[in-house]
Amino acid sequence: MSRISRSVLPRRMFLRGVLAGGISVAVPLPRLFGMLNGNGTAYASGSPLPIRFGLWFFGNGIIPDRWVPSTTGIGDAWTLSEQLAPLQEVKPYLSVLTGFSIPIANVAPHASMPACALTGAQVGPGNVQLPSIDQLVAKVVGTGTPFPTGLHVGLSNVSGATSLGLAVSFAGPNAPNNPNYSPAALFQNLMQFKSTGGAPQPPDPELLRRSMVLDAVAADVQSLRARLGTADQQRLDLHLSGLNQLQQQISAAEAPMATGTLVNPDTAYPNRGADGTITRMRGQAFSDLLVFALSSDLTRVFSYNFSCPACHGNYTDCGLDPTTFHEDYGHRLSPKGLTYATAGFNTGVRFAMSNLADTLVRMQNTPDGTGNLLDNSCVYATSCVAESQTHGGTDYPLLVAGKAGGKLLTNQHVRIVDENVSKVPFTVLTAMGGTATSFGLAQGQVSSTVSELLS
Amino acid sequence: MKTRIFSPRRAADNACCPRSRIAKRKRASTPSTLAAYTAIVSLLGACTGTVGSGTQPSSASSPGEGASASTGSVAVSGGSGAMSDSSSGSSTPSSGPSAPTDAPPAASLRLLTSAQFANSVQDLLGAAAPLGPVQPDEVVDDFAQVGAASLVVSPAGVALYETATGTATAWAFADATHAAAVLSCVPQAVTDVACFSSGLAAFGRRAFRRALTTDETSRFATLATTIASQTGATVLMGLQHAVWAILQSPSFLYRVELGAPSAADGGRLKYTSYEMSSRLASALWNSVPDDTLLDAAAANQLDTPDGVTTQAQRMLADPRAARAVVAFVDDLYGMSNLEEATKDPTMFPTWTPTIQAEMKQELELRVVDVVLTEPGDFLSLYDGTTTFVNGDLATYYGLTSAATTSFGKVQLPAGGPRAGLLGAGAILAAYGLPQRTSPTTRGKFVNDAILCRSIPPPPPGVPPLPPSLAPNTTLREQLVAHRAAPQCASCHSIMDPIGFGMEYFNTAGLYRTTDNGQPIDATGTLDGASFNGLAQLGTVLRKDANSAPCVVTKNYTNAQGRAPTDWDTAALNALTAQFTASGNRADKLLVNLVSSDAFRFVQPSQL
Repeated sequence: MSRISRSVLPRRMFLRGVLAGGISVAVPLPRLFGMLNGNGTAYASGSPLPIRFGLWFFGNGIIPDRWVPSTTGIGDAWTLSEQLAPLQEVKPYLSVLTGFSIPIANVAPHASMPACALTGAQVGPGNVQLPSIDQLVAKVVGTGTPFPTGLHVGLSNVSGATSLGLAVSFAGPNAPNNPNYSPAALFQNLMQFKSTGGAPQPPDPELLRRSMVLDAVAADVQSLRARLGTADQQRLDLHLSGLNQLQQQISAAEAPMATGTLVNPDTAYPNRGADGTITRMRGQAFSDLLVFALSSDLTRVFSYNFSCPACHGNYTDCGLDPTTFHEDYGHRLSPKGLTYATAGFNTGVRFAMSNLADTLVRMQNTPDGTGNLLDNSCVYATSCVAESQTHGGTDYPLLVAGKAGGKLLTNQHVRIVDENVSKVPFTVLTAMGGTATSFGLAQGQVSSTVSELLS
Repeated sequence: MKTRIFSPRRAADNACCPRSRIAKRKRASTPSTLAAYTAIVSLLGACTGTVGSGTQPSSASSPGEGASASTGSVAVSGGSGAMSDSSSGSSTPSSGPSAPTDAPPAASLRLLTSAQFANSVQDLLGAAAPLGPVQPDEVVDDFAQVGAASLVVSPAGVALYETATGTATAWAFADATHAAAVLSCVPQAVTDVACFSSGLAAFGRRAFRRALTTDETSRFATLATTIASQTGATVLMGLQHAVWAILQSPSFLYRVELGAPSAADGGRLKYTSYEMSSRLASALWNSVPDDTLLDAAAANQLDTPDGVTTQAQRMLADPRAARAVVAFVDDLYGMSNLEEATKDPTMFPTWTPTIQAEMKQELELRVVDVVLTEPGDFLSLYDGTTTFVNGDLATYYGLTSAATTSFGKVQLPAGGPRAGLLGAGAILAAYGLPQRTSPTTRGKFVNDAILCRSIPPPPPGVPPLPPSLAPNTTLREQLVAHRAAPQCASCHSIMDPIGFGMEYFNTAGLYRTTDNGQPIDATGTLDGASFNGLAQLGTVLRKDANSAPCVVTKNYTNAQGRAPTDWDTAALNALTAQFTASGNRADKLLVNLVSSDAFRFVQPSQL
């Protein structure tokens, strides 16, 4: 008897697509710095250096009047708005897209809209119906690294109640990539790949033992898999791909070659505050670690969850009251009145943008090939709503930073009123080398790009 | 840290965050939806060939499960090792109840919830085993158990399991004494293969919740001996890594519940004995089975309602049962909302993270007391004055009590304003905003969790509330717009009156007599019964016709790991009748539930 999936069709179709798109069960060799040419500008084989991708998410939206730059155009023709001003240092790498609208019904505030901005589709029984943009990009660029599906970090661990959830990266329905809230834990994880300098040391024998253990675990996956129906097999296949990633990491750790700067959070940011709180220092700690991982080619994809959709956490680090940013400021419910709440919300949005600037500036300051990491990356930043108070879906916050190895045009404000938000992640996917001819589902689906972004 | 992807609903008085679990309500099927499924269960009754011989992987006819075909032969398909589970069907077909052809397929692969993972690791390795974080649960239809049926483990989640189980096993095998507490046999030499095998097989039986196949035992024993034979390695190191492999295996991390056709029941899919041991341990202990339960499974004692009842009663008398009740309470009453609740420190200076945690413990202790310790009438929770406080909480609530750090059972003042579940600080604070109460949110919680009444989401375009209370008006007066506009009143008239009945208690769970300087009006009616204040509201809830059936439905959803469908109606009705007749005894409900046809068979019976 075949066990029929009890989920609705789109989920099943998606899961097939994931497998068809290549859940790899082989263990590719990680790329090592030893494989670069003499100038470090390309691989010794002649192929270009990889392009990296980041999904940078902040919850609770914006004030469109203070977010949209006053003029459109390229270069000196436009200047940053009040809420975008913290990004001044990386303006040459930035494209600001305004006027775009969410085309799907807002059946679930703080869920429908981010689902659209991240997947091009409405929410579904498994949170999302499709993989998020970072996971689509990971399939294109991530293979061959120890973390092929990316590194996922987050500042606030406070949920948004009935919002999309704590994760913004999804491999598919019911398949969240939950953020890691601990810079110290990420540092420990990355340290195993760092070259110790000097002569190569024999690998830690425990690495081999871990690998043997994982082999035994994989054998259990295979025997269990044979007894299951299709949907459960696909869940196990995803579990197996996670096991394979651990094996890839062990291989890389056996001969650690990463030579970038690995900043220890406890040394650099000892007062960064507890994991799960929003502090600029913790954000900086994560940005340092992500930059190391990207420049060392340990991964080519990351998601950075500054705050989740409708996050109820507080923004005390930028001087706001220790109450929920979502309600007191986002919805202007502070008992101190509308003027206070609006000013506080504005402060919070600028604070989020300061944190984004921290990430982008570090990328800009990291040499990569003949340029820097931001030359060879694309960072897509968005939120769970546009106008926060009324759950507006027009003038949606959309930023694209980085030149993607020359595939993206930058230093521009592009305004297209009522354009479909999905076009931006689709354009980004295309710039990253994706060959899909469409993105999203139903009203969220698009098959053309924002030409102003592509070189 | 126990975090949730979908925290239970928390509707504010503004239009934001509607309480509906986004689209997950679709899990409760309607007949029209069921008709869309094409389950092929009915084919089992006519199966005359070797089960599992088709080209598709068959989740129902598991190779080696010993499924009976209706021709009378026991078909065991070749596999990598037959499960040493006995078939629950006889070889003589009979006219037992058959399953409906369009019943929704049941989930067959359930990830352990984070609480189950923690309990299981500690039951297997020792109560003090260190536990690292794992991937957060996904809460669906109020319960992590439901979300577990579909949750996918991410690559980071797989890594978290490796780390968490690695740390725990390193601790458990740090020395021979520890190891002897974990394994029934600790080899003295790397050549003692028999001891490696027997020890790991016995451990694996508990971890996998079934007997290991010979291949599996061999796999883990070989891993142990190979590692133990490495230069500089020890027997303990070999054992540690083999156990590490067992605890990372999906056969441990997921509950595998496939069922096998039972010829005695017309070919209906029935959970096998070992699967029943897994289900019982999950439902009643929120953990892995113990050896007694596994022995009962091996002896086919879990194939009948009586056999299940015997074990269930033993299990409820065991201290481990409290963990299942606590998990149920945490989910149903939304304790993740309490954990995330923030209160304005200027307005509520006595509210601290310690008080927050103690309130959660108070509520858990109250429910465990009624369900397991007394055991008593579950509905007495709604207006009872028994609670559990320590010195901190006693001071917070203004009770006189000997100041201690440990919790003790106390009586709230008789006739006082605070009583019952709604008077628990945890509930009052979980469903309130940082600076003020939210009667709508409190009312919505009661409808969802106590009355099983779901409220549709608000219409789009609802304007936000004014940011602060107008002077000299209570919140009740402020929310008059909820009652004035017909499109608002239809739902708010169901939610708000309950919340207004609780208005004598502020958002930090403390008693007050005024709101914004004005006297509070806590009168209202619920299903025709009047109340003034939350103590009387508690009594109204206790007597409400929806309350008993709702307790049954919530327990059913949690134990079954799915929201009930129309096919479960007969089962729910029977359980409710038994529940009421027993005096609303939740412990008896649990026994009846796990021994019911609905729990022992994969597919429900015909309506």
